[in-house]
Amino acid sequence: MNCVLEGSGVKAFGKAIHALSRIGDELWLDPMVRGLALRSVNSAHSAYACFLFSPLFFQHYSLGSASEQSSESIKCKLAMKSILPLFRCLTSIERNVERCQISIGTADDRVMIQFFCRHGITKTHNLRFQESEALQAVFAAHLCPNVLKAPARLLGDMVMHFSVCQEEITFSMTPQRVTLKNYYEGENDHMKTMYTEMSLHPDEFDYFQIGVESDITFCLKELRGLLSFAESHCLPVSVHFGAAGKPVCFSVEDMVLEATVVLATLSDSESKGSSQLTGTLAPSTPRCADAAVLPVGSCEADSSKAQDIPAMMEMIPSSQGSPITNLPVLMLLQPETDDPNGRGVADEAFATATLTPASSMICSLLFRSSEQDDDGCAARLPVLACYSDEEANLEEDYTRSPSL
Amino acid sequence: MPLSTQSQGDDEQYVLVASLDNARNLSNILKAITFKDHAIFSATPNGLKVTVEDSKCLQANAFIQAEIFQEFTIRDDSVGFQVNLTVLLDCLNIFGGSIVPGVSTALRMCYKGYGYPLTLFLEEGGVVTVCKINTQEPEEPVDFEFCSTNVTNKVILLSESLKEAFSELDMTSEVLQITMSPSQPYFRLSTFGNSGNAHYDYPKDSDMMELFRCTKTQTNRYKMSLLKPSTKALALSCKVSVRTDSRGFLSLQYLVRNDDGQICFVEYFCCPDEEVEEQ
Repeated sequence: MNCVLEGSGVKAFGKAIHALSRIGDELWLDPMVRGLALRSVNSAHSAYACFLFSPLFFQHYSLGSASEQSSESIKCKLAMKSILPLFRCLTSIERNVERCQISIGTADDRVMIQFFCRHGITKTHNLRFQESEALQAVFAAHLCPNVLKAPARLLGDMVMHFSVCQEEITFSMTPQRVTLKNYYEGENDHMKTMYTEMSLHPDEFDYFQIGVESDITFCLKELRGLLSFAESHCLPVSVHFGAAGKPVCFSVEDMVLEATVVLATLSDSESKGSSQLTGTLAPSTPRCADAAVLPVGSCEADSSKAQDIPAMMEMIPSSQGSPITNLPVLMLLQPETDDPNGRGVADEAFATATLTPASSMICSLLFRSSEQDDDGCAARLPVLACYSDEEANLEEDYTRSPSL
Repeated sequence: MPLSTQSQGDDEQYVLVASLDNARNLSNILKAITFKDHAIFSATPNGLKVTVEDSKCLQANAFIQAEIFQEFTIRDDSVGFQVNLTVLLDCLNIFGGSIVPGVSTALRMCYKGYGYPLTLFLEEGGVVTVCKINTQEPEEPVDFEFCSTNVTNKVILLSESLKEAFSELDMTSEVLQITMSPSQPYFRLSTFGNSGNAHYDYPKDSDMMELFRCTKTQTNRYKMSLLKPSTKALALSCKVSVRTDSRGFLSLQYLVRNDDGQICFVEYFCCPDEEVEEQ
């Protein structure tokens, strides 16, 4: 993959990396036909972000030879701390950088990022990456009963009122208003906490659709990066969500880029035991980070695991068109992640998902079924992350949904 | 100024007397070489040279010519002593570091000779402070035998172009590699850190390159820990000359303008990292 960014595009790219650095410690670079995707997920798998830059964003964008579009295309994972310093000072980038070239070498395991600066100065960085499976979260935004579209600064202005240390906030929606308040656990420190609550009238939003009244609680820190990005680009922010426990999706898009942040939400305490049925994984701890794990899947080319998968599981195709593989639903990323709790939750979730009768429904909610045209699975469910070789057929369905 | 009311007779006992209306013209430049506690002072009728060394591999010199001082009297051909530089800087800043326009600390530095302390008279707003700092036998500074006839490559760059590069240098790299060549890449700074390597290239026709005189391609590595202190001198300077000789020794010379626009120089000498052979 080889691409060239110019001037202000470099700053936007840097801002995307800043936003992604708020989510996780690793950055996935996924060059695709439809653009370059930058993705990150947090260690607890409760937050996922994806910034997709279409080829139009770049002065030049090429994936290399045609053969690279098959399963041999490079998907690389970089440590955030190796790439973030390159884009740390955005004002100096704006002032000095005229052009930036990014290429992923097939020969060595390096990403080359080259800045062509004023005065003829060139800065070249060769960063080591790990080859990795694609990171993807599939989120059926069209199934969300509640949809909001907020003008660029609205959400940013609202969250400004919460302290930087505020971990979680509760976002409530009724037909009359949208409320944001800080979330506090238990009855501790009643006297020491400052409670902030603010409400917005539906008229403040560019689009207001309420299907179900709900209060969702999610981690605010992970969202701030996207809000800052939206503000700097003057882009309205779309919010898709449902009942508590289901993930919430914040997205922005313009002609050349799309950015999405999917956050897990706390499930209601009374439905903790049956939360698996609602398509989330919710262990008993109420902490947002552990509460609901996102359906983040990785697409493996390794078919040797097929035997372990019960027959009722759906098949999940990879975004790169690699051979269709059987995968357990809600399988989390490879065990390279350091978080033992994450794995534990995954195992538990997997176990429960296979046993509950609603799991096949969960499968089709979260992952695109390759058989959906012929089997009796409800209505055809549009999903977001479709594999590239079927893009042309599905585009007309997805004009309004943010894709990941 | 109260300091000047001292009778001329007192001065007879001093081998060195140096006065400045603004002590910052000395303290600022000394900050650029403060990476070790001790400094060797060497005064000649030309002016003052302050030297700081690290493990015989790195040497920094600050030159303040006699013309910079309002008064510079030296009785012998050369006067030398060693003092604790950190203590000296603390004394020079004794009235606080804040910069108020129109207000400056005046300095009168006096030395009676071998065995005597260095006496500083500092005055600001009518308040006078006298500091006496113990001196030590001056060590002989290392002679890096760096002479202009041996210089193979020389460039002069405007400091602003290097300041950003030095502030961004990957500190996980143990070495800073400097490549100078009459052909591409002309002048290159490279680091080899945990995440990968980085190269900063300055072409010979860049408008940041004031002088480019490279005769042969040379690549040398220097320990990052040794060169990092030079960033302070770079921050103060407006121009820097980078020279390497046939052995790969590095000379960095920084042109510093003080508060009154006068020019002083700071120089760093560094040995190449022995593990890498010169090309």
